[in-house]
Amino acid sequence: MCEGSLQNPPPISPDGRGRCGPLVSILLPTYNRCRYLPYALASAAGQTYRNLEIFVVNDGGHDVRDIVHSFNDPRIHLIDRRENRGKPHSLNEALGRARGKYIAYLDDDDVHYPHHVQVLVDALEGPTDCQVAYSDLYKTYCHVRSDGTREIRSKHVEISRDFDRFMMLYFNHVLHVSLMHRRDLLDRTGLYNEDLSILIDWDMTRRLAFFSDFHHTHVITGEFYSPLEESDRISVQRRKDSREYLRNVLAIRTTHPPKPWDKLDELSVILLVDRLDQSVAQTCGCLWRHTFYPYRLYLPLVPSDISRLNSEMPNVAPIAVDPRSSPAERVDVALQSVEGSYVAILPGTLPIEEMWVENPLHALIHTVPDREGFLLENAGPDRWGAVLKRVDLQRARSASPHLSVEASLTASGVRIRRPRQEELPFQFDTLLHQARMAEADGDWAVAARVFEHMAAHHHNELWMKSLAAGAHFDAGNHVEAGRLSRQVNQVRPTVETLLLEAKVRRRRRDFEAAIRLLQQAERGLRDSLPAPVRVPVTGSQGQYEN
Amino acid sequence: MDTVGTNEIEKRKRLQHYEVLRELGDCYTTVGNYAQAHRCYEKAASIGPDEPGPYVGLGAAALQTGRCEDAEIAFRVACRLDPNCAKAYTGLAMVAQQRKEYSASFDLYMKSLELDSDNITALLGLFQVSCEMASFAKVIYYLQVYLQMHPGDVSVMFALAALYFKDGRPEESLRMLQDLLALEPANKDARNLLEEVEHGLVRAG
Repeated sequence: MCEGSLQNPPPISPDGRGRCGPLVSILLPTYNRCRYLPYALASAAGQTYRNLEIFVVNDGGHDVRDIVHSFNDPRIHLIDRRENRGKPHSLNEALGRARGKYIAYLDDDDVHYPHHVQVLVDALEGPTDCQVAYSDLYKTYCHVRSDGTREIRSKHVEISRDFDRFMMLYFNHVLHVSLMHRRDLLDRTGLYNEDLSILIDWDMTRRLAFFSDFHHTHVITGEFYSPLEESDRISVQRRKDSREYLRNVLAIRTTHPPKPWDKLDELSVILLVDRLDQSVAQTCGCLWRHTFYPYRLYLPLVPSDISRLNSEMPNVAPIAVDPRSSPAERVDVALQSVEGSYVAILPGTLPIEEMWVENPLHALIHTVPDREGFLLENAGPDRWGAVLKRVDLQRARSASPHLSVEASLTASGVRIRRPRQEELPFQFDTLLHQARMAEADGDWAVAARVFEHMAAHHHNELWMKSLAAGAHFDAGNHVEAGRLSRQVNQVRPTVETLLLEAKVRRRRRDFEAAIRLLQQAERGLRDSLPAPVRVPVTGSQGQYEN
Repeated sequence: MDTVGTNEIEKRKRLQHYEVLRELGDCYTTVGNYAQAHRCYEKAASIGPDEPGPYVGLGAAALQTGRCEDAEIAFRVACRLDPNCAKAYTGLAMVAQQRKEYSASFDLYMKSLELDSDNITALLGLFQVSCEMASFAKVIYYLQVYLQMHPGDVSVMFALAALYFKDGRPEESLRMLQDLLALEPANKDARNLLEEVEHGLVRAG
């Protein structure tokens, strides 16, 4: 049964067989971008996948009614608000009316290619457990002329990162305009956080990652624009305020969706201190700033200290303990309350820095069998702290309650060690950084080797092969540049790799092939902006007259 | 950070479309499709107005279609945009050569080779003009320098052998031709010249 309304045109698939796909809601918030909105809206209305509802939300900006009505398309709905209340509010307003099985997003200055929705629907309706999918986009650098029109200078697939949950918790690597997810996932993540002024997209993708893997389809399905001059993007302007930026990052990291989480296990941090004093406040502040993995802090304190505790601190659970109790006894009391699958025993004297717990935790989650735990960063014999599985800790404490935590773990056969280099998170990002640095130093051959190694061992194959091809070319190794760019072009040609292969072909005096590749690259650069839709042509799919 | 690498990346952001059009123009020029080449170069010039490349291309396409005045204008624009553009001086030299202004052409080829001694078009142009002017010393020097960098380039080896012979240095010509034929035994022009040189040596003998 088709989910579309009677108003909507009958859903017709590109193969013309009339397959009825699920309804997709495209959300398009806009604010004072009347020049670009027609292009964005044309790209949404011109999708080959027809079973759509498109919500244009005017966030108190210039009047866009004429633009929207000029499309004369019953699938387009205008939410026309006079008051400027920000992007998250606009998205929530549209979500309140959306009925699609899936939600897709478009910004008012970006465009989707005609196959965007179809590609993502196919990904989500296919054999996958994922409830979220994303594609690749061109970052299109343009010169903005004095009359406001855009002159395209280059197109690059700058990010084509396979989904990595740990990275998603740390920072966003999925462009919102490339995203599609099931609408009912929002029942679990909650709506957009209207207290945020920037990083709104990451806040949502981060929360989605608590409940689903993301399917990455390596198809380029649209483009987002980056002026070579100063960007007018609101988010770019706001990111320049470092304090505001930090406030938003911290708010995102400390806000967790309601449990149960299907894809993530909470970390329980048991902080061992004697009394509530200034140093505890500092430690809590450090934890807040330097921990991106979702955690809940268990604070065993004497009752008089609990009454003095700031109750507004996020994710803190005070645990009443006897003033005369030992650290091990305090852990035992706290263990009766903790819910997370992983537990960090944190001595109050341990310096908290970036990755203090994520490094050992990543090793714990990804690489070890039961009965192994990992020392926290900066921990040592004089300030012992570790992260381990709750079941291992509970088993050890039950067996040897009279021993210290460390001794009880040893007694029950739980080995505590430091993580090895290859067990740490962000291996891919570390290598990528190294390769980028080599490129910046003009050491192209080294960069090429690193990119090729990453393509072979760290997923993200197409992306890394493209980068390796470019680095080989700059290093003068045209044979490898040609081989790799040809491989990429056979799967997913980009303007960049087409140009690269053409250069190599030209140097081999294969001019006909070079011309074909360059013509394809030129088409890719030239045909990006769809003509604004004016009047739909009856009976045609995705074809309009201007 | 301002390094070679980051500058290069920044340049790619700005000039990818320009580069596609310029490469395409160069390919069309090579296969003799000058109308398409002209279209590409004009578009490239509009995107990268400070780059001499498209004007060099426009000049080359104009030259190939016998439009010497258009070619000269385009090459002069390229020279103005980049006073060190060797290709632009080569183009101007070719324009002068077509007009049989050999002295001016000679000077322009020389200027081009001062900027880029690796420029094979300028080198062979200089060879042709030198033959017209019967003035060989300078071109011999440049051909020798070029061969040091590209030891197996038979076209330059042949030109140098011919110049040695014309300049009254048959022994050097003989050696050069023997080296050339060792690399390319079937080279007819070299064989004919070798026969001529050997004949001359016997007569001088």
